[in-house]
Amino acid sequence: MIKIIGVSKKFKNETAIDYKDMTFESGKSYILLGASGCGKSTLLNMIAGILSPEKGSIEIDGKDMAAASQKEKDLFRIKNIGYIFQDFKLITEMTVMDNINILKLEGVDTSKAESVLESLDMLDKKNKKVKNLSGGERQRVAIARAIVKSPDIILADEPTGNLNFAIGEAVIKQLTEISKGKTLIAVTHDDRLCKYFDYVIDMNEMTGGRYDA
Amino acid sequence: MLKFALKNMAIKKVQVILIIVSIIISASVGVLAFNISSQVSDGITNNAGYYSLIVGPAGSKTQLAMNTMYFTEEPLGTIPYSVYTELKNNDKVVKAIPYAMADNYNGNSVVGTTPAFLEGKELSDGALFAENKTCQAVVGARVAKENGLKVGDTIHTSHSAIEGDKHEKGIVVVGILEESYTSFDRVVFTQIETLWEMHEHEGDEGDGHDHDSHGVCAILINTLNPTYAVQLASEYDGKIITHDEEAFTLQAVEPMEVVRGVLDEADDTKYIVFVLCAIILIMNIIVISIITLLNMYHSAKEISLMRLIGISMKKINLLYLIQNSLIGLVSTLLAFGASRLCLIFMSDYVSSMGVVLDIGKVYLPEILILLGIFLISVIPTIICTFVMAKRDSLAE
Repeated sequence: MIKIIGVSKKFKNETAIDYKDMTFESGKSYILLGASGCGKSTLLNMIAGILSPEKGSIEIDGKDMAAASQKEKDLFRIKNIGYIFQDFKLITEMTVMDNINILKLEGVDTSKAESVLESLDMLDKKNKKVKNLSGGERQRVAIARAIVKSPDIILADEPTGNLNFAIGEAVIKQLTEISKGKTLIAVTHDDRLCKYFDYVIDMNEMTGGRYDA
Repeated sequence: MLKFALKNMAIKKVQVILIIVSIIISASVGVLAFNISSQVSDGITNNAGYYSLIVGPAGSKTQLAMNTMYFTEEPLGTIPYSVYTELKNNDKVVKAIPYAMADNYNGNSVVGTTPAFLEGKELSDGALFAENKTCQAVVGARVAKENGLKVGDTIHTSHSAIEGDKHEKGIVVVGILEESYTSFDRVVFTQIETLWEMHEHEGDEGDGHDHDSHGVCAILINTLNPTYAVQLASEYDGKIITHDEEAFTLQAVEPMEVVRGVLDEADDTKYIVFVLCAIILIMNIIVISIITLLNMYHSAKEISLMRLIGISMKKINLLYLIQNSLIGLVSTLLAFGASRLCLIFMSDYVSSMGVVLDIGKVYLPEILILLGIFLISVIPTIICTFVMAKRDSLAE
């Protein structure tokens, strides 16, 4: 279970976002909708331990990750969180398998890589360089890398942002299918994808929007 | 980790190859400059140390030493053969070898001596000339190659380069020296009596010489111990002897001392070489540091990506340390190989100074230069990753 309690995030340009308290239950899927700049991606980054809030706590299974050291956050992220970035964060000169096996640097077991790729219809492309893949295929590689370690939490930041609706919908279908039983939090601005998630959160209502700090 | 480091290097192969090539060029030039200057200096001194004393006519000590050891310059003149006989019978002397230089064969010097002068030299064909005969020659490898000579051929030496100035009497090639890349490769060696015969008994077949009526250009001597060399030097240096009512002033030089003197006089050259080596090394440091820093700068995006997916800075540091260590190691090893390859190519040029470059000769400073260059290629990585770890890109 993830609890967001009294969290506020200030940015370098002196703007800030205050978040209302939220709870994400384990094993459920959530879609965060909202206008650009309302703090959707920032929330995901704080849950993942990439960013730290100025105040408040982010409790994951009872542990306040906001108060943890960067080293602890890194360790938690690599072990428990599968993060799918909007721009994929793939090394384009490397192959699909190399991009997944990069997790081995931190001792992550990637032995399920082939079965995960198969479930995403990407097994035949495992030895292809990422630069030779289409946007939809790259997104699937990013999903495969995020879920290969069987994380408890999957965070997806605009997973369909770079794809057309048809491909985006197919990706979301696969993502929700493959994430069954795990906590899935996805950020999107496309409300047509809501039907694939257990809960829909309107982030415009959950934050006061950006304001000058 | 190593496997991933290799894969990461493979995807940047052009960049990696450029780094390696630039390190190889700068490192091998530094190592090569040091090696050659050291080997030439050592080689000249070692050659000089082969004989403990040279006795010859008064004049330039350097000319006498260089003429007898490297066959360069003209002989100073002659001294009576009786000096050789006297020295050969001296109790302090282990070996005395008469030496004369006259004539040439197609531009190559002709040296008259005894077979003892060629002791230790390997022959590619034939045998050494006989001590009790005349008109036999052992030719240097280059002389044989350039003139198409083989054992059994007859050569005609000449006083000068003028066509038709050749001696009628021929000299039979009985042996060819193995190529040694030294000045020996360009000389024709024959009995000293052959030279006398050519100049005084032109056309005669006689082999019974009145040795004492002839002269030699120098006498190469090895003494029982170094003290005897000093004693003989003081005894013979400046000594005046009379032969056939003619006075001859002798000089005795210790070749090692002469060569050291020459090298000391060339101190400025040595200084320039060391200054050049220092400049090359400083350039190495700057070039390699810049290359490594640029490499790390270009990797910043990659590092940021790895941090986002959860790879710790410790692992990233280790990854880049392995990569740059591999680049440094491969570059320094190849630089060492390249410097040895250059030594092979430079060998011919240096052999004209009478020095054979030993490809296997490694000096401690060379190892230190290579070790330094290896460290230069690794230390900036450590600094960069340390700085990046301090200023974690995640926060940005």
